Amino acid sequence: MQRVKRFKWAILLVVLALVVVGCGDDDAEEEPVATTAAEAPATTPAPEPADEEEEPATAPAEEEEEPAPETTTTTAAPPPPPEPVTVRAAITGDEGTLNPYTYISGFPGWNILMLQYDSLMQLDAAGVPQPWLASSVSVSDDLTEWSVTLVEGVTFHDGEPLTSDDVAFSVEFYTTNPEASRFARDFRGVADVVVHDDYSVTFVLESANPGFDVVALADAPIIPRHIWESVDIPSEHDFGGTNIGSGPYILTEIAPDQSYRFAANPNYFRGAPAVDELVLIIFADDAGAQAAIRTGEVDVIFERIPPEQIDLLDAQDPLDVILGPEFATQMINYDASIRPFDDVAVRQAINLAMDRQDIVDTVYLGAATVGSPGWIHPGHSVYNPGIAVDVYDPAAANALLDGAGYADSDGDGVREYDGQPMSFEIITNASDSLRLRIAELTVEMLAAIGIETEVLPVDTAVWENAVWPGFDVNNGRNYQIAMWGWSPPVQADPLRLPWLVHSSLDRGFLNLTGYGNAEMDELSEALAVEPDPAGRKAILGRMQEIIAEDLPFVLLLYPDGAYVYDSSVYADWEFIAGQGIVSKLSLLAPSARP
Amino acid sequence: MTRRIDLRRVAQYGVVVVVAVTLNFLLPRLMPGNPLALIAGVDVGMLTPDQRAEIVARVGLDAPMWQQYLRYWGDIFTGDFGFSFRSSRPIVDMILERLPWTLLITGLSLLVSAVVGVLLGAISAWRRGTKGDLSMLSGMISIESLPSFWLGMVLVSLFAVQWGLLPSFGAVTPASDLEGWAHVWDIISHAILPVTALSIVGTPGVYMTMRYSMLETLGEDYIRTARAKGAGERRVLFGHVARNTIAPVITVLAIRLGFAFGGTVIIETVFSYPGLGRLVFEAVAGRDYPVMQAAFLVFTAAILVANLAADLLYPLIDPRSRTS
Repeated sequence: MQRVKRFKWAILLVVLALVVVGCGDDDAEEEPVATTAAEAPATTPAPEPADEEEEPATAPAEEEEEPAPETTTTTAAPPPPPEPVTVRAAITGDEGTLNPYTYISGFPGWNILMLQYDSLMQLDAAGVPQPWLASSVSVSDDLTEWSVTLVEGVTFHDGEPLTSDDVAFSVEFYTTNPEASRFARDFRGVADVVVHDDYSVTFVLESANPGFDVVALADAPIIPRHIWESVDIPSEHDFGGTNIGSGPYILTEIAPDQSYRFAANPNYFRGAPAVDELVLIIFADDAGAQAAIRTGEVDVIFERIPPEQIDLLDAQDPLDVILGPEFATQMINYDASIRPFDDVAVRQAINLAMDRQDIVDTVYLGAATVGSPGWIHPGHSVYNPGIAVDVYDPAAANALLDGAGYADSDGDGVREYDGQPMSFEIITNASDSLRLRIAELTVEMLAAIGIETEVLPVDTAVWENAVWPGFDVNNGRNYQIAMWGWSPPVQADPLRLPWLVHSSLDRGFLNLTGYGNAEMDELSEALAVEPDPAGRKAILGRMQEIIAEDLPFVLLLYPDGAYVYDSSVYADWEFIAGQGIVSKLSLLAPSARP
Repeated sequence: MTRRIDLRRVAQYGVVVVVAVTLNFLLPRLMPGNPLALIAGVDVGMLTPDQRAEIVARVGLDAPMWQQYLRYWGDIFTGDFGFSFRSSRPIVDMILERLPWTLLITGLSLLVSAVVGVLLGAISAWRRGTKGDLSMLSGMISIESLPSFWLGMVLVSLFAVQWGLLPSFGAVTPASDLEGWAHVWDIISHAILPVTALSIVGTPGVYMTMRYSMLETLGEDYIRTARAKGAGERRVLFGHVARNTIAPVITVLAIRLGFAFGGTVIIETVFSYPGLGRLVFEAVAGRDYPVMQAAFLVFTAAILVANLAADLLYPLIDPRSRTS
């Protein structure tokens, strides 16, 4: 009797849990299905001939295969001849509800967001912006007026036309609602948006910006005015249905922490995408995603795979690995405003002490490019070939420190400065194992030149707050040495270099090392108003020389992008230099890509 | 007599609740770090100071601490915890979506480890000192020292990757449109590996408690008396020993049940299971204050209720505690 009692409520609990799971799940499925059903009548009857006279890239054959009902499941047994392509992609983290105010990560969150929306320009495989929603883009000689003509006949998912009114609205909305910080930043410095007619618009900038096409036009999604104009708090607004963009995919279902489901937009202005259904599966970590691609439970991983997995995964049969340049960076930051890092000799010695090739070989197993001390990737179009990349020379580093008076007077193997030992902490985020290993190698390399360091692995928020308190350089710094890295856009667009090195914190808002140099400031300002690409390249060349000499930070390497996919399911992945494979280009028919 | 005890107990619980709620509020804010990047994305560093200030004001983080604290109490009474900094979704929805999954795997594994642990513990104690008892004891100690993430990874690589018998991740097959029994089986097949892992790591604790508690009981005079009276082994075991042994085991299980609501960060991560443990882990990593506050509150409540249940059950099981 007692025993029965003992278990009764445990059983009750499990039964209850099962019931709740059952109900909860039904809700989760019913809601989005209802959404789709509500959305479908709006999208399907949209007149299809409108598309044909548009862009040359439309593939009419593919439009026919999209029947009226939007159900694309295995049980439906669709009559049309070509088997619909479903791709299941792994991501490692929830991305919210995936509108411009609720997507979470810069990568792959932004890339997935942009499957549903379009920007005025789109990066091609080489990473160069090409007209996209725009049919043409022109800029005034003084680089302050950017005029855009839109492709006519583009519609949002609900069938409403996309016009210059939506463009002007998007700029204003992002600027006045800065929670979507990326897009608020994109349009920082836009004084006015002049709408000439439905399909032409001019951006008037406060000051010259030669990189406005990359920074803003190829970055920010155009949102529909008719949906967003009544929105008060954008991140919390309940739109009561799916996200309405103009992009090649429509989000049809969200299972939080589990998956996202996208259906191809049959009316996409560049032609219906080659992949009919895209399912994103959310993993808690990359090990889970790698196990699932081995079992065939997913077809591609939308994250860079770690170096030690590249050969292993590539060797397995239907799996292939695609490699390419990404302009992400791994670097050593130090507080150049405090002793002894304010002495350029110390910074130069640290630079000479770093065996970059060794780090690339031992930590990255070769899947990275040795860093240029001048910041810019040797594969980048503005790289200054005069900058020597392989500078490893510990003897020269020791000589430099000896010459600058940093002697080891007490013979303990550690040099002194201002009467105290050169002994520092290297702060890094414990969650990044590659970065942690680089930090450990750095300790050895600096020990060889008499600088004692200790790795301090902390959680990401603590690390960020030490290096970049409150994400505002005006708050100063709270570290000695830090492992740091920027995401690809910071380097891919070389016009952002002043952000890193300008001594005025208004312009140098990514200057995390407290660095300043008068010539660098002048060059930064000249760069912003130089209309001629060759002239800009020359300025950037000189800036690289100063960085390699002055070392506001020590650039170690650029990790290569490596992505694994199942080639028996879908193989047309496009690697955009600096962005990787997660983009609409990968999912559109090759003829529709720029 | 009993009523006075009840009142004192109510007061005790009240104090615990106030302390726990205050800690739930303070702990997230005492952690170093800044939720701004979570609210507005990593490019927040490139905004103007005015824009940054506006964002801080919109989420109410510019208000003095005491106001934020009062607002948290308000949230508790209205049941509306606002929106997550990270995913911008209503927090109550986020918790309700994940709670059933967590309860499913933690509840099932609690059941399994309770049954297995109690049975094996009883057998072990009954045969104390024998080879069987000692090998079971050392086996349980070894299992207890297994890291659960390692166990989870071994299960995945054997049953999912190597033999392809069970799915390697998740709670359901994504975008599968399964219905009826196929859907139920889908849920069960996804739960098998995580429940197995949790049950394995959860059993030794129950086993140990049961074994020691029973050993103690077996040494009592009344057991000898029962035997001397000529009571059969079966009657001694169930009528005298089990009844007197079960109280500590109930306590252990009740506490575990309370913690079961917190999910299990490690197992949910290894199996990418969409439970509360993962939600809380991500909230802590990103300093998502409102999610932390709400989730910690759920844990606090679950543990308090489980304790209360144990308190109320005790007198039913053990008459000695009725009058103390």
